[in-house]
Amino acid sequence: MTTALLAHGIGGVRDLPVPDWMFSWGAATVLVLSFLALGTLWRSPLLAAQAPGRPLPDPASRLLLGRPLRLAAQAFSAALLGLVFATALAGEPDPTENLAPTFVWVVFWLGLVPVTVLLGDVWRVLNPWRAVADAGVRLLERGGREARPLLEYPERLGRWPAAGALFCFAAFELAYREPSSPHALALAIALYSYVTWTGMAVYGREAWLRGGEAFSVYFGLLARISPLAVRDGKVVARLPLSGLAGAERTPGTLAFVAVMLGSVAFDGVSRSSSWVDLVARVEGPYVLERPGLAEALVTGLSLLGLAGGVGLVAVAYLTATAIARRTVNAAAPLADQFLLSLVPIALVYAVAHYFSLLVVQGQFALPLASDPFGRGWDLLGAAGVQPNLNPLSPNTVWYVQVGALVAGHVAGLAVAHDRAITAFTERGPALRSQYAMLGLMVLYTVGGLWLLSRR
Amino acid sequence: MKAHLGAALATAAVLGAAGCGGGGDEAAAPAVTHAATTAATTAEAPPATTAAVPAPVEIRISVVGGRPEGGIRRETLQQGDRVVLVVESDAGGPVHLHGYDLERDVAPGKPARLEFVASLVGRFEVELEDASVQIADLEVRP
Repeated sequence: MTTALLAHGIGGVRDLPVPDWMFSWGAATVLVLSFLALGTLWRSPLLAAQAPGRPLPDPASRLLLGRPLRLAAQAFSAALLGLVFATALAGEPDPTENLAPTFVWVVFWLGLVPVTVLLGDVWRVLNPWRAVADAGVRLLERGGREARPLLEYPERLGRWPAAGALFCFAAFELAYREPSSPHALALAIALYSYVTWTGMAVYGREAWLRGGEAFSVYFGLLARISPLAVRDGKVVARLPLSGLAGAERTPGTLAFVAVMLGSVAFDGVSRSSSWVDLVARVEGPYVLERPGLAEALVTGLSLLGLAGGVGLVAVAYLTATAIARRTVNAAAPLADQFLLSLVPIALVYAVAHYFSLLVVQGQFALPLASDPFGRGWDLLGAAGVQPNLNPLSPNTVWYVQVGALVAGHVAGLAVAHDRAITAFTERGPALRSQYAMLGLMVLYTVGGLWLLSRR
Repeated sequence: MKAHLGAALATAAVLGAAGCGGGGDEAAAPAVTHAATTAATTAEAPPATTAAVPAPVEIRISVVGGRPEGGIRRETLQQGDRVVLVVESDAGGPVHLHGYDLERDVAPGKPARLEFVASLVGRFEVELEDASVQIADLEVRP
């Protein structure tokens, strides 16, 4: 089996499309829930008051946030980054026999999502780039030198660098022909490490992690959904979603969230028959004589599609908030106010699209970890583990997909509603501002359902 | 990209499950053909004994100028169906069925013949591997 053979493939085991009857029921449920929500939701703000949470007992906080655990996690994570980079660079080039593709695309990128939503922002501790930077700073300081950022991070940049980086990551995943090629991954890891450490050295670790490091921003936003968080050096338990209370004024956040949502939506589009037919028409005339040109055309088309998906998400949001502003004659734009209500929707888009992939392909992590370089080793005694390729019935997958989208819709509505009654003291404008938001949420949710039901 | 990796990984598992990698597939395919032909010949004499073996689903695709005639073929199959996929092409190269990871060479005048039992549920793509051109989309329903 050669790399080319596998990496050019477009599909392995893919989910069957959600049946029409389930799409209709899902969409109808969304509409009914939305109208019920308008009349029955709470009348005074709830989430912001819940956001501080209740601290866990002190010993638990000390254990979880203590130096030994942090150092152990950082050492483990940095070692893992080293291992994955080494396998990508020097391991078997076949993506099925190399740990790197499965680790990066499945274990890290998909697996950390549920962990973050359940347990909070574990990436803060696990981030291997931060771990190495921390160690570097400790070394410098031990040598008697001071580790000071070269420049102050320009506040107007906000999360724009992270949004750009996430877009590049999505383009690598969805537009590049061979994202699971270990060598391509090695290059990507090297490039990202360079950018990240440079960013940290120039602007300081915290500033770069807040605005420039795409994965910190990504998992940081998702962690706001979590019932666990860290406040004032203590682990607190809080109402899920309460971390999403409040306006979001950091520049670039809309761009970032639009990339989160738009890239998953484009992934769905790119698997539909219409898109595949379009790709075939575009590359068709050149595939035999000029394969290089055909490939460039397909990559360009995918980039356009990806940018289009991101753009549509952002434009839809800006339009909805502009309409809401007119409806209530608000003095200032409302775009900052409701931004965080999109985070639960971004989460459920990812769940609906990748849940089965995580369950199926996640099983390969164990045998691959046992033989990371594809050299026939069996370090963990698990090289022979046979994954189950059909562990989920199509029905299970469909119910999870539709259920996730409907739940995300409700969560988004709740967050936006809570924000509205906080931002507008009178109930009338608060409710009227939500008509457009409701339309937007229905658009995102029914659009998401529709994508899942396409062949 | 998920799909790419999915293909790759699923492929590995199917190979593994076949017991002895590609060799397992090679060995299994003729056996199926043999069973089918035996069924066909014996059907004339004692009809009762062959009722359990349904006819395979045959899918014929013809590729001209690197593109499938009539566009990408879309077929819906039932889990457990026996399938014979015949691909004719005016250009040579391997034909690859993702997920099941079956591969046969095709050449002008020499069609590729992929035989398998549709045991995995989901959507699977058939590709001309060298040009990475998709020619069919098989949907296997439970």
